[in-house]
Amino acid sequence: MLLVPCPNCGPRNASDFAYGGESHVRPNPNQATPEEWRSYLYMEDNPAGWLKETWYCRSGCRRFFTVERNTATNEFREHPIPGTKLGGKA
Amino acid sequence: MANALEFESPITKRYPSGGSRDLALSDESSQTKTLVRAADDSAAASQLGVAFGGSRHQAGVHIIGQRPTEWLLVGDESAAAAMVVGLDRTGHVSVIDHTHARALLRLTGERSADVLSKICNVDFGDHMTPDGSALSASVAKVGCDITRDDASGIRSYRIACDRSFAQYLFDAILDAGREFSLTAVGA
Repeated sequence: MLLVPCPNCGPRNASDFAYGGESHVRPNPNQATPEEWRSYLYMEDNPAGWLKETWYCRSGCRRFFTVERNTATNEFREHPIPGTKLGGKA
Repeated sequence: MANALEFESPITKRYPSGGSRDLALSDESSQTKTLVRAADDSAAASQLGVAFGGSRHQAGVHIIGQRPTEWLLVGDESAAAAMVVGLDRTGHVSVIDHTHARALLRLTGERSADVLSKICNVDFGDHMTPDGSALSASVAKVGCDITRDDASGIRSYRIACDRSFAQYLFDAILDAGREFSLTAVGA
């Protein structure tokens, strides 16, 4: 079982969450090139290691948050950041 | 002007009466349920006086901090209306009547945590969910808002869910509680 640390509800079973994928900083739509925008939308870092991810607490507080997870070991580190969608490869 | 809608409970099945009342499931859906959304630093939040994850009773209304910046007020119609009228609406505050949208069940008895533990993955021990605590979780695969609200020292939970799932949830809890002699009361 994967225990995901929600900043509001505490650790909960991963089945209580929706996975939001890698979280990246959204480029400015007025300045980004088509390549940058495509990269933001579709390209993933996909590292075997630490990654900042967005999760949605579906069964609990119904809030988005960002947390770092090691994709190789499923270990979480540091405190989750509520209400944010920042990150990418940690 | 149309008359106010007469409340019809979503629990429509009838259950045999009798049996032990030590562990009981009842339908409280007719209680007035008002959803309040406001910023944590708003005057309304100060008035409600309970943070996310907690609940308290005031003037006949059960004030439940069911999500960050979101409260559910449960009580009879006049008490709930009086509290809503007195709510400070300064800033961004929304008040929505959820009486007909949400069902409300009550599970009471010393073994009630054992029943819930069979169909919900939250720790219902006293150290994690003491009297007054509020949380949201999946109960029998239905998204529910659960509040521990002990009655006269006896462990009791209020379980709110969307109206359309209520009959299924009622039967699922009864099924889970069969081994503990759970009885449907007033339904």
